[in-house]
Amino acid sequence: MNTEKPAGQDRSARELEMYFGPQHLGMVGNFSITLNVEGDRIIKAAANPGYLHRGFEKLMELRTWIQNFPMVCRINVVEPDSMEMIYSMAVEKLAGIEVPERAHYVRSIYLELARVGSHLFGLWAYANMLGFDTVAQWAMYHRDLVLDLFEELTGGRVYHIYIWPGGVRRDFPEGFADKLVNTLHAIGGCVPDYDAAFFENRVFYERARGIGTVTREEAKEMGGTGQVLRATGMEYDIRKVQPYAAYDKVPWSVHTREDGDAYSRIWVVRDEMIESVHMIFKLLEAMPRGEVYNRIPNPFKWNIPPGEAYVRCESSRGELGLYLVSDGGDRPYRVHFRTPSYPHGLTVLEKALQDASIADVGNIMISLYVVAPEIDR
Amino acid sequence: MNDALRKKLSSTFSDLQITAAGDGDTSITVPKGSLMSLLSFLKSQGYEHLGLISCVDWVEQKEFELIYIVSAYMSRDHEHGEQERSSIIVKTRISREEPRFLTVIPVYGNAEPYERELHELFGIHFEGHPRLIPLLLEREYPVPPFRKDFDTRKYVKEVFDSVPSLEDPEE
Amino acid sequence: MDRNQLIKWLKAPVKMSHKYSLHAVYFCTGCGIIEVPPVITARWDAERFGVLPVATPRQANLFLITGYVSVKTLRAIIRTYEQMPVPNYTVGFGSCPINGGMYWDSYNTIKHLDKYIPIDGWIAGCMPRPEAIFVAVTHLWTLIDKDMADGYKRYRKHYRLYRANQERVLGKLEWPPLYPIEERDERRTQEKAVVDVQ
Repeated sequence: MNTEKPAGQDRSARELEMYFGPQHLGMVGNFSITLNVEGDRIIKAAANPGYLHRGFEKLMELRTWIQNFPMVCRINVVEPDSMEMIYSMAVEKLAGIEVPERAHYVRSIYLELARVGSHLFGLWAYANMLGFDTVAQWAMYHRDLVLDLFEELTGGRVYHIYIWPGGVRRDFPEGFADKLVNTLHAIGGCVPDYDAAFFENRVFYERARGIGTVTREEAKEMGGTGQVLRATGMEYDIRKVQPYAAYDKVPWSVHTREDGDAYSRIWVVRDEMIESVHMIFKLLEAMPRGEVYNRIPNPFKWNIPPGEAYVRCESSRGELGLYLVSDGGDRPYRVHFRTPSYPHGLTVLEKALQDASIADVGNIMISLYVVAPEIDR
Repeated sequence: MNDALRKKLSSTFSDLQITAAGDGDTSITVPKGSLMSLLSFLKSQGYEHLGLISCVDWVEQKEFELIYIVSAYMSRDHEHGEQERSSIIVKTRISREEPRFLTVIPVYGNAEPYERELHELFGIHFEGHPRLIPLLLEREYPVPPFRKDFDTRKYVKEVFDSVPSLEDPEE
Repeated sequence: MDRNQLIKWLKAPVKMSHKYSLHAVYFCTGCGIIEVPPVITARWDAERFGVLPVATPRQANLFLITGYVSVKTLRAIIRTYEQMPVPNYTVGFGSCPINGGMYWDSYNTIKHLDKYIPIDGWIAGCMPRPEAIFVAVTHLWTLIDKDMADGYKRYRKHYRLYRANQERVLGKLEWPPLYPIEERDERRTQEKAVVDVQ
């Protein structure tokens, strides 16, 4: 609702209010931004979420602990696996369930594969926005190869429901590790092509350099995490800060850039993708044998003792957290997801769009790596 | 939380209740009058990252419990210290009949959307908030939807299931 | 092209060209959007079926409503649908538009989409596979051949009821009715008056 005065009364007569609305070729996800523009320059931007609000947290209070697992993955459609992981971590923390060693490695491989898939989706969105259609097609094709692997492992392309409290649902099938390695080699072998066509392309440099700059101080003040912070030089990654699963068992490094603009953020995404692929190889080599799940109590009659838990993990978009409260019953009492796109899409976006040109709105929005369903839940 | 910080907190504030919340996290319960000064103190000690502002509806005790979860960014770019490893959960209680509280935007700038969301979903009014308009919802509900006394299934039955189907329209 | 097709092209060229060039509006309504980029890119390639994404609803004749519809999205969907020129076809994608799906008890999603806009076909699944989208497109071709894909005709005919349902859930709508409503009622009362007099 526009509560400001119409143009001509204390407002510049050239100021126009327009909607970068939900039905837009550059909008990935159902999200809207209300822009006040003067000519080509944006004076004020207001994010308008709520198109995807389902009231998840209320619905989860009406379903039992185990019934929430298929629900939870639908919060982030691009990378549902990190949502399963965070809910499982919180439930295990509250209920005091231990996870066997091999399951930690399997979970880490699964999450890194999901991260690769999610970054390829982000690359599709960003390259499409800038007009690099060929690179977008390659990225979506390679993501489909990753989804084929997920289909063999879990049975579903998009929503897997593989992580279970106490481990994972089943072990790797016969020959899966070889297939995984071959697919990743096939994708990794195309990295020089990606670099030549997109990442080292002069056009990308000119379009993204200096656009949507978020400095370190601004990012910290606005609650930015993930690529928004790593593109300013801080190695803030929950997998290193507060390690979970098997991330502290293999050597790997966090990639950063210095400038904090869209160019740096996309380069951080590229470096992270390559690091994830190397991490999967190392985890496969170091994986011990053993069970992949510990038995949990009968899920139909499972009461978790009262308490609260706050757990964090690193999804492909940033720091993902979950605050879970139990009152001793068979359903959660309060669930609240701290999703990384919430500060990025609401606070950081409004700041980064100030004084930007209209042509750069999509550029900035997708480089901030916002997933709309995460904001609304 | 390390002992030095615990001692400082106990000496600066007299009405805190500090408990360990498992896995290195700490939970501090504080009466609502001291919340702002506690948050400013924690921010000055390096806990600059406000992760989440949440609310739990304790309907039998007729109270809302506001939750503020803070953690630390890295003080040095390439070294991971102990302080950023765990979070602090700060809790306070306000009345459920007349839920009003102060905004923490002066301390943590990114609190704005969280408080907006709590305003529309729980009905808590935050004084001093610059933009307390609906964020996610499109309409007013008889009771703010995340409260425990809002029956969502009854609402669905009344509003959505009662819309006539157009399978066999007349004429 | 084989001989059967040639006869069809000669008999009804307009219908055949509608079928084989279904341009879909690019509107990511819900979670189902995750399976649409694989469909329109190189691996599953919807363009060999004639399906392309286009930027505005004015250029489109296929509306793929991917996933659940919240109340706010319903407004945007109705506005988009009413801008599409006729003949146009809508397909509900996923289990959620059919009967609410997984969010059947959510206070913010609508449960049956065909009470508000006319739907020509549904694709079940959560998520449906890309092959399911192609099965739906070929099934839509059969329906168009037999003149059974008449969602837009139903919308015009029963617009009063559709608009009543929309206003019932969304409150006052900011846009005027697409088809005139009062005229029919006036004519009916006039006819009734004539009959009474006689």
